[in-house]
Amino acid sequence: MKKKFTPYLLLLPQIGLTLLLITSLLTGIIQSFGVIPAFNLFKPSLKYYIEIFARPDIINSIFFSLKITLISSLLATFIGLVICGLLVSNKEKTPLVNIITHIPITVPHIVVALFTVIIFSQNGVFARLAYLLGFISEQQEFPRLIYDQNGIGVIISYLWKEIPFIIYFIHSLMSRVEGSLGEAARDLGANKFQSFIKVTLPLSSRVIISGFLIIFIFTLGAYELPLLLGATIPKALPVLAYQEYLHPDLRHRPYAMALNGIIILISLISSIIYYFLMKKRGGGYE
Amino acid sequence: MSKKLYSRFLKPLFIILIFFPLLTIFVWSFIERWEWPSLVPTVFSNRAMNVIFRNKQDFFKLIGSGILISGMVALLSVITSTMAARAFVFYEVKYKNLINFLSLLPFMVPATVFGMGIQSIFIKWGLNNSILGVVIAHLIYSQPYAFQLMLAGTESIGRTYEELARSLGANAWQAFYKISLPMLMPVILASASMAFVVSFGQYFLTLIVGGGQVKTFAIVMVPYIQSGERNIAAIYSLFFLIILFIINHLLNYVGKKVEEKIYKG
Repeated sequence: MKKKFTPYLLLLPQIGLTLLLITSLLTGIIQSFGVIPAFNLFKPSLKYYIEIFARPDIINSIFFSLKITLISSLLATFIGLVICGLLVSNKEKTPLVNIITHIPITVPHIVVALFTVIIFSQNGVFARLAYLLGFISEQQEFPRLIYDQNGIGVIISYLWKEIPFIIYFIHSLMSRVEGSLGEAARDLGANKFQSFIKVTLPLSSRVIISGFLIIFIFTLGAYELPLLLGATIPKALPVLAYQEYLHPDLRHRPYAMALNGIIILISLISSIIYYFLMKKRGGGYE
Repeated sequence: MSKKLYSRFLKPLFIILIFFPLLTIFVWSFIERWEWPSLVPTVFSNRAMNVIFRNKQDFFKLIGSGILISGMVALLSVITSTMAARAFVFYEVKYKNLINFLSLLPFMVPATVFGMGIQSIFIKWGLNNSILGVVIAHLIYSQPYAFQLMLAGTESIGRTYEELARSLGANAWQAFYKISLPMLMPVILASASMAFVVSFGQYFLTLIVGGGQVKTFAIVMVPYIQSGERNIAAIYSLFFLIILFIINHLLNYVGKKVEEKIYKG
């Protein structure tokens, strides 16, 4: 009898945290339908979602967020994959792999924002270098990479954080596959490139796609980098949501929650896509 | 891709891409003026350092509260995940897959969305603007990292050693305390260090739950980046990184020592 309950007692704190997370999400979702008893809002309605989709600035924000998220996640996955391929096929030792993965993963986003400004702004290191080499004759001629409407600064800084994350995420599996089955393919006459493309890559695809989805969802909802490096217009979704959240008129709260609802919806859709992709492909190498 | 090109060109490039940005932070900490278009800073000074140390008490309080918050997060997430991992490996658990999936939710739910939701709850509970509230919020987001590490660690050690100890007459607590716990220590320290890092870098959750009352490096630093006071922001970053580095290495070092002690005598 006692043994039956022990595991659930052990799981109690873990389950408690999960419940708190789910309750917070539900609270947000309920508020997005305009139900906040504390502010005397009781009647559920879709009003806030409808109004949001009628506002051009919000539509712009949605597209802006999707754009920087997709570009940075795709680029990070692709570059991470190429670098990881190089590390693996050159049988790179652990110390270098640890340096190029652990350090960027540990450095906080705010610090990354700071050095991105130092390096890429119009009076930054690269602008000075461009002047010295005669490409530009004054600061303003250097392309606006930070606080720009295309979010280039934001994308660059995400790449610095996320390429190493992808390498960290796929390296151990990839080196195992490459060492066993990739080696076998080469014994049978494939060259290095062929064995990588035809054997190692497909067998690692499941982990690669998981890594992509993790950074995609993270980037979509992240606040610091678009706040510190993004333009005033358009704002990234989380930045806009928090701005509505802080609005002195408390009746704006449901708009913030509706924007969060959109973020959850996009995250949910990508998780479902991921789930079906996995089912269709059926496993992969573990 | 020839081997030579890789080791002569690409390897150094990777190292530069990692370290150059961090070097700029270090250099900017001591820059007073850097006139356009000079490639090297024109005037160096330790003014920024002095600004921060003018009020030593505040600065050490800032370091203290950051380490206290993230230390508590690390400790709690290690306890929670050691227990949960033990339940998974040592016992039959119903809905194991569901619980495991739900433990990964923080990877799938952005912290911004969660933060705006939990603030309403914490206001009701009176945890808003408190250190405890911040710790709980951070804990939820550090948990999946610590739990996945602990689960892998516990699985790799397995149940056999404890069962052996039990058959030799140890009670359940002795078996855990004397056998599994020391063997798990390296993983426990790695999880703690991961949880610490995740918590220490949090900005949004600290901002929204702490309401500006709970001060950490991230909270104090952001206004300086926004107002363009790069040297002060750089000094804070520098200390931020130094603390992360020390904690990380300290825990890894202790973990290695423990491992040596267990496996080599």
